[in-house]
Amino acid sequence: MRTRKSRASRDNGLFGLAAVAFGLYLCFLVLPLLLSLKSSFTDENPLRATSGFVGLDNYGEMIHDDQLHASLGFTLILAVGVTIAANAIGIAFAMMLNRTNLSYRVMRTIAFLPQVLSGVIVGFVWQTILTQQGLLNVTLQRIGLIDSPIAWLGSPNLALLSIGVVVTWILTGFTTVVYLAALQGVPVELYDSAAIDGATTWQRFTRITFPLIAPGMTISVTISLITVLKLYDVITVLTGGGPANSTRSTALYIVKLAFTDNRFGYASAVAMLVLAMSAAIALSVTSLLRRREVNF
Amino acid sequence: MTAINDVLRSRARLVIAGVVTLLFVAPIYLTIVNAFKAQSQILESPEALPIPPTIDNLSTALARPDGLIQLGLQNSLIDVVFSVALLIPLASAFSFYISRRKTKARAAVLALLAAGLMIPPQVILLPTIQILTFFGLDHSYPGLILSNLGGGYLSFAVFVYVGFMRAVPNEIIEAARLDGASGLRIWWGIVMPLVRPATATVAIFSSLWIWNDFLNPLFILGPLQGQTITTGLYLTIGQYSVDYGQLFGIMFLAAIVPVVGYLFVQKQFIAGLTSGSSK
Repeated sequence: MRTRKSRASRDNGLFGLAAVAFGLYLCFLVLPLLLSLKSSFTDENPLRATSGFVGLDNYGEMIHDDQLHASLGFTLILAVGVTIAANAIGIAFAMMLNRTNLSYRVMRTIAFLPQVLSGVIVGFVWQTILTQQGLLNVTLQRIGLIDSPIAWLGSPNLALLSIGVVVTWILTGFTTVVYLAALQGVPVELYDSAAIDGATTWQRFTRITFPLIAPGMTISVTISLITVLKLYDVITVLTGGGPANSTRSTALYIVKLAFTDNRFGYASAVAMLVLAMSAAIALSVTSLLRRREVNF
Repeated sequence: MTAINDVLRSRARLVIAGVVTLLFVAPIYLTIVNAFKAQSQILESPEALPIPPTIDNLSTALARPDGLIQLGLQNSLIDVVFSVALLIPLASAFSFYISRRKTKARAAVLALLAAGLMIPPQVILLPTIQILTFFGLDHSYPGLILSNLGGGYLSFAVFVYVGFMRAVPNEIIEAARLDGASGLRIWWGIVMPLVRPATATVAIFSSLWIWNDFLNPLFILGPLQGQTITTGLYLTIGQYSVDYGQLFGIMFLAAIVPVVGYLFVQKQFIAGLTSGSSK
């Protein structure tokens, strides 16, 4: 009995540190989440001293909020488009760079660079390229491909496309590394025996490579989707949500509701919707893709 | 004949891969070469090498009266160093503690922590600021660092550490216990040296993410406490800057720290990413 007690007390220090860590998590993640949930049922506004319970009013307002619908539409199109593009290019890059010589290793190092830069830097560099008098238009005009500058960031559809390209560019470094790791797990003998059986390059890709990189795909697709759903800095710098709010993602809309309009209650309700959507998408995509892993 | 074909084929593959890779990093190439060119040279041919190179853009950027680069780097460094230096002991001690608990308790705690990996930061930004205000820590570095520690970074760090700590043999820990070592001593003296790769992964990725973070420093730190390198760039440069030479010079200086850091630790960087994603 005595020894057990003293043994437990010897762990007090460790328990203390662990408790501090858990306390911080409760205080700065769990508690904010609960407060946000609570606010979503109120008309909280920092400019007023009191706030009242409004039941499901905020959630009802979301049904008729055209600006919210537009931002959700933009975010979903961007998320799906970027995820498909970044993963397709990532698989292609990984297959291209899947060699061990020094030159290929150097190329891998370089291809991952966009992942290291902050969204703010990436946003400004691409803005310099894409803006009206930007480097892309200057170059296209110089070689005579276009007569007048194209508004890459200034018209709604082109701005969506431009943001899609930039975000794909950021994510491709990540997807490439994940698929490179997945490719390393594919046994070379499979390709050899397929070659003996006379399989074409395309057949080797669809029958061997593609099914066997499934675990890598699960993680790569899920993280791509979550990254786009959270995206804030790149869009803020590139277009600020414009033109005419056409590139305002739901993340930007929440921040605008909370900090520009001071509508804490409604902003919290929209935040809860985004949270539920992120969780639903992440869980359903993961289970869908996992099934593909098992089936093989 | 086939041998020659093979050589040609692998040459062609190398050339194609090289061209594609270069095209892919064209924006980074443009940033580097144009940081050393005058505005007129940039507009004339953005893709040309800087001949003759000028360091005017860099020296102008460093001589700014607002100290955008120097202060930004200094503030980001404060944020990263304190956050990571606290995150590693807290997350590893917590991971060690729960990795020795019963399976059910451990699973419940890990499920709660998984939420931290998924929650978009803007969902909890507002109440986080309210909580910091309650403690009188809003618009302060301690507030920003505390919110970093409690937010998603802790979840990430714990998941990395728990994976490694489960592999530490129980016999080593039991033997140390019989010798009368305290929990703290076993954690710091025995377990931590065994999970160095986990510490490397946590340190590298949390440093990078905190360095590049934008939303939290923008709203939690606010304009009065000085800017980090990300919020400083955003607030100073504004939407449409036309002096490209200046802009590229500033971007070059702002990007140097993470890029050089990445080149130094790229082996551990890629290893951390692939081991984390193949789990």
